[in-house]
Amino acid sequence: MAKTGLLEVHDLSVGYGGEPVCAPVSVSVHAGTALGVIGPNGAGKSTVLQTVVGLLPALGGTVQLDGRDVDEREAGFRRAVATVLDDDAFFPSLTGAEHLLLTARGHGVADAERVVAEEIEEFGLTERAHALPSALSSGQRRRLALAAAFVRPARLLVLDEPERRLDAQMRRRLAARIAEDVADGLTVVFASHDPEFLSTVARRVLVVDDEACSVVSPKVAVAALSEG
Amino acid sequence: MSALLAADPAQELSGVGVRRFTRKATATRADTSWLTLGGDLLSALTTAGVVVAVFGGAFSALRERIAARPDSGSAVLPGELTALVAAVLVTSAVVALLSRLGPVSATPATAAWWLPLPAGRRGLLRGELRRVGLVGVVAAVVVALPVVLAAPQAPSVPEVAVTVAGAALLALAVVGGLVVLQAAGRTGWVAPVPGALATVVVVVPAVGGTLVDGWGWVPSAPDVPLPLLLGVPAVLAVLGLLAADRVSGRLAAGALRERGTAVFVASASALSLDTRELGRALGTPVHPPRRQRSWSWVKGPWHAVVAADLAVFARSPWRWGQLAIGAALPVLAARTRGLGEVPALVAVAVVIGWALAAVALGEPSRRAHGAPAADRSLPMSAREIVRARALVPLVGLVLVCGVSLGLTGLGWQWVLLGVVTAPAWAGAAVRGGYRPELDWSGPVLSSPMGAVPTGVGATLVRGLDLGVLGTVPLIVGLLLGEVPQLLLGIAVLWSVGLGVLSVQTAQRRKD
Repeated sequence: MAKTGLLEVHDLSVGYGGEPVCAPVSVSVHAGTALGVIGPNGAGKSTVLQTVVGLLPALGGTVQLDGRDVDEREAGFRRAVATVLDDDAFFPSLTGAEHLLLTARGHGVADAERVVAEEIEEFGLTERAHALPSALSSGQRRRLALAAAFVRPARLLVLDEPERRLDAQMRRRLAARIAEDVADGLTVVFASHDPEFLSTVARRVLVVDDEACSVVSPKVAVAALSEG
Repeated sequence: MSALLAADPAQELSGVGVRRFTRKATATRADTSWLTLGGDLLSALTTAGVVVAVFGGAFSALRERIAARPDSGSAVLPGELTALVAAVLVTSAVVALLSRLGPVSATPATAAWWLPLPAGRRGLLRGELRRVGLVGVVAAVVVALPVVLAAPQAPSVPEVAVTVAGAALLALAVVGGLVVLQAAGRTGWVAPVPGALATVVVVVPAVGGTLVDGWGWVPSAPDVPLPLLLGVPAVLAVLGLLAADRVSGRLAAGALRERGTAVFVASASALSLDTRELGRALGTPVHPPRRQRSWSWVKGPWHAVVAADLAVFARSPWRWGQLAIGAALPVLAARTRGLGEVPALVAVAVVIGWALAAVALGEPSRRAHGAPAADRSLPMSAREIVRARALVPLVGLVLVCGVSLGLTGLGWQWVLLGVVTAPAWAGAAVRGGYRPELDWSGPVLSSPMGAVPTGVGATLVRGLDLGVLGTVPLIVGLLLGEVPQLLLGIAVLWSVGLGVLSVQTAQRRKD
């Protein structure tokens, strides 16, 4: 009998107003692996990710995490899944460090201050940790949002174009960091346009398309991305 | 490393804990001392007191003036009925608005930082629930107060207090009910119901008052003991709020975020005085077509513009109700005892009703202004496109104004006067839709609402201004009580001239 993945997506149809934006998706993601998601702009990558984490209702098909239907209203699901999607929203009167501390404490992380301080350093925000979001650059805000996914425990990490608004060095560091976490047992699903990021992190790649969605090797995906 | 981090669910912050953390962090950078809060409260109470006193005085004076007027034969509807219609109209608008905006929603920051936490959503959203309840109470007071003050016999202070308190409690019950529907994902049908109700309660008395010689039913306060009058709404409010609190834990993050974004855009539009963007934020989506149309009658770019405008209008069911209400409002005013005898009040109803219709028919222009790419693809000059875009509003307003004024004045000459006034309002619809954005880059003026750009008034009333000007001959007719031939001739020239001027001066976005 085949081993069941941590995340099982079966015939998932995603879209808005009852209209699918891409072909149905079926994929199984095992614990401790990373699945990349690629496709042209507007193909529906973000819609697939948002539906997988329960932020958008599915038009059809199923998504299961650990054998249970995904329901983001359940605390257990929120404990297990960390997401960094396209949000660029912050409380205007909370500093960057306070946003991370809220996340860490909200998840009951032991020694939250230390964990937050480490991630602030890891994401190169030490100088700006106590600045309000309005005083942060776009790239710094993106790093802050990404850091929030790492100050809390998670079994599944879902990222939408994590390389966006990061410089080359930070992209490489983040890719290496995620690859390390995957080796330690974290499961990652991420959409990306960056061939280097994809080849560093992904074990398999889901190609989202109008006609048919398929799973390919990172090598094939990187070649497809390079061809544009 | 996120996979290996140690965490204890028992140490997780509860919903209350998350709110407290955020509030405390905010408080360190905000002036939230008791002195400041007390000052703000005092200021709010003073403002509310002044508003009540001013409106109360105005209503009282109006009631006395109306009572002193002799009855006209054609005004058969009791004032109490029209007051009730006005209350239903405003209440429907508030309920539709609450259902469009949630009623419970999450700001973008809340959606990003609170909702992904394992904390119970019920505790997280309790503050939001309180805010929504407060909005309902304020709306209820704003609706109930004028209605009770407009009663023909001056109400006593206890009567006013009981009415307002009862309305506030009912509002809490309605808010609770809406939250329950929201949690069940069944708010889709809520907005159309008050919309349809508002249309019916305006149109039926207007038509009924025109067709029948005497109107028998006069709404009156229910003759029930005070404990029951307040007790039932109180029980409903408690039940509604308890149910809302109970189901708030089942509200989906995606829906909360989507409603929160609508609130955010609407608030930003209101603060920046961009009423057109506010309308877009609060507007209901255009219904998808039930069947594909071939548009076989479209033979050129002019036809294409008209076809597109008709499609936008036909797929926006709210606009049909808006037209019906716009046409019926002047008739309702003219048929109401007390109001019908005061030409100035009928004229006000004409302007409000027809402005409502012009806004409805200006929808294609507003959409075209927001997304000019489609227009640019047509082989027509920008000016020609704007001219073509006036056709649908012109036809619509000829019908609305003709029927509306015909029923208001009860005569063919009034129908004609309404028809000839339509070009001015059609031009107004287009001019309003294409009006430029407020220029915040230039000098700003200090106002009680904060900084506003110079020329804000002229920009906001652009469109409506020439529509009102076009109504001047009609107002003269209302004051005269008849429509002389000369007035009709002047009205034609005046209205067509203003309509052409509106279309010629409707600005298109330069980008």
